[in-house]
Amino acid sequence: MSAPVAGVLDTAVGRVEVHRGGDGGPAPLVYLHSAQGETAGLALLELLAADRAVVAPVFPGFGSSEGLEHIDDIEDAAFHVLDVLDRLGITACDLVGASLGGWMAAELAVRWPERVRRMVLVNPVGLWVQGAPITEIFGRHPGELAGELFADPDHPLAALMRAMEAMEADPSQIPFDLVRPVLEAMAATAKIGWNPYLHDPKLRGRLGRVAAPTLVIHAVHDGIVPRAHAEAYAAAIPVCRVVDLDDAAHLAVLERPDAIAALVVAHCGA
Amino acid sequence: MRFFSFHLMPYPALPPDYDGPAWVTCPNELFDPVLGGELYNRYIDDLVRAEELGFDGVCVNEHHQNAYGLMPSPNLIAAALARQTSRVRIAVVGNALPLYDPPTRVAEEFAMIDCMSGGRLIAGMVVGGGPEYYSFSLNPAHARERFYEAHDLIIRAWTEPGPFEFIGKHYKLRYVNTWPRPIQQPHPEIWIPGVGSLETLEFVARHRYAYMGIPYFHISVFERMFSMFRQACTDVGYEADPLQLGWLVPVFVAETDDEARRRYEEHFWYFVRRLLPGINISPPGYTSVRSAENIMKNAGTFALNLERWEDVIEGRYAVVGSPETVAEVLETEVERLGVGNLLGLFQLGTLPADDTRRSMELFGREVMPRLRARFPAAATTAATGAVPS
Repeated sequence: MSAPVAGVLDTAVGRVEVHRGGDGGPAPLVYLHSAQGETAGLALLELLAADRAVVAPVFPGFGSSEGLEHIDDIEDAAFHVLDVLDRLGITACDLVGASLGGWMAAELAVRWPERVRRMVLVNPVGLWVQGAPITEIFGRHPGELAGELFADPDHPLAALMRAMEAMEADPSQIPFDLVRPVLEAMAATAKIGWNPYLHDPKLRGRLGRVAAPTLVIHAVHDGIVPRAHAEAYAAAIPVCRVVDLDDAAHLAVLERPDAIAALVVAHCGA
Repeated sequence: MRFFSFHLMPYPALPPDYDGPAWVTCPNELFDPVLGGELYNRYIDDLVRAEELGFDGVCVNEHHQNAYGLMPSPNLIAAALARQTSRVRIAVVGNALPLYDPPTRVAEEFAMIDCMSGGRLIAGMVVGGGPEYYSFSLNPAHARERFYEAHDLIIRAWTEPGPFEFIGKHYKLRYVNTWPRPIQQPHPEIWIPGVGSLETLEFVARHRYAYMGIPYFHISVFERMFSMFRQACTDVGYEADPLQLGWLVPVFVAETDDEARRRYEEHFWYFVRRLLPGINISPPGYTSVRSAENIMKNAGTFALNLERWEDVIEGRYAVVGSPETVAEVLETEVERLGVGNLLGLFQLGTLPADDTRRSMELFGREVMPRLRARFPAAATTAATGAVPS
């Protein structure tokens, strides 16, 4: 057992950051982060690495990963993730994705079902569901958004978002080093998910191709993605069930790492 | 020195109990179409009057889904002006290129206006404001790419014999063959407005176009921005012509300083507090990170943060006063900024029609002649952007 450490990988779009740790398990466990970019030092990855070999690539535009200029849409995103797997020699993996990463995982699993052994999607975006819109994430006041991302208003990141909102009238007061990663992460997310808004109209019709038994985790306080989306995934993927997770909102991977690690290990095996 | 009368065509009748943004989601039920019809005609009359008062040109611009400016299609207004005026330059500042698909539409409509006006068009090209990317659900992360590609396509459509094929990343056209072509050859003068994005400054400098500073910031921001522009011109090997720079600023003239403030102040605050909220949203990827950093440095001086009239005057957010005062302030600032185009915004917010007209008359009769004497015209006709280099 070892906590994941950062490394780099040269890909077709540029050099990206990849965090790897742990060993063992039926296949490498690949984690795809959300629009938050959570990877470095992520408690969930440390917990998973206790049982499994864990690989967490950082998507272009997030962290120190390059190459966003070569990514225009979800199609490019899926091919980039495939490229990362190829270059790491991962022929089959257990795939865990949160939110935006959940969408990428599903896009990968419909195109190359043989590469995905088991799949866990945490509050995934990716689908459009009549009457259950995904909440707007772009251009929102961070303090307001904090309530949709976190069930616990005292979570440190929620507190930081509220502090940033207080400085909004004069953003020159906010240290730019704090702003830069947010700007870059949101630009990367916009490239993939501005319009169609955080979904791929063709995905639902393709979900029947997913071969991996799939678990969709829906955090009951998620203020971004309604439960109907988890149900839509479950209805379209041949082997799929939904689990509701208490005491968590959209960024459940940050709020309930222990519970999510347990669900992942139970679903994918140790 | 050239003088332009710039119109936003603001909506002056947001109800007192509405305190939401004036952009993107401002409910369109708040728009009264009958009043809207009166406003369009009154505002066009203001611009026609500018010709009679001796202005060199008039300016209109493009914004969507908002109460700040009622011209989703400035080209329609420009077409009306082409028929109702005979001398002034008609500056459309500008068309938001990424919002036109394919952008050959801009090449066509601008060429029509240029033909109809006898070659008086100034062709403004803009990326479009941040709110527009929400209103059109257009990906802001592609804004710059689309803008540059659309610009190249439009210039080629005007200058290269058609038909030709254009295969870009965003636009793929097998038969580009724009009818009509503009009277002005090789193409109309080109203006690009900006708020200090480095890419835009460098682009304008490289093409020898004219850069129009967008208002609502402290005068020091313009000073810094224009000096960056001059530096960008130096970097590509030439000295910037003052006619490559324009300063857009709200102006109000009355008989005395006290009278001017008394008549103007509440309308200025309506504009700032009711029509500006929402204008400054910057969607993700809309600017590069290095430009975002530069723009953020200026954000504290944005007019939305203004509270005191003294700060409005001191920061030159508006130039307000007697003809004597306005002339003095403008002389000082035009000299300091080194601009060859002054774009006066004479209608602001709820300012009543009579006050706007009186202010424009005083400006034309008493302020403009003094500034013309102080800053004699260079040989200016179509001096900028006529020849892409």
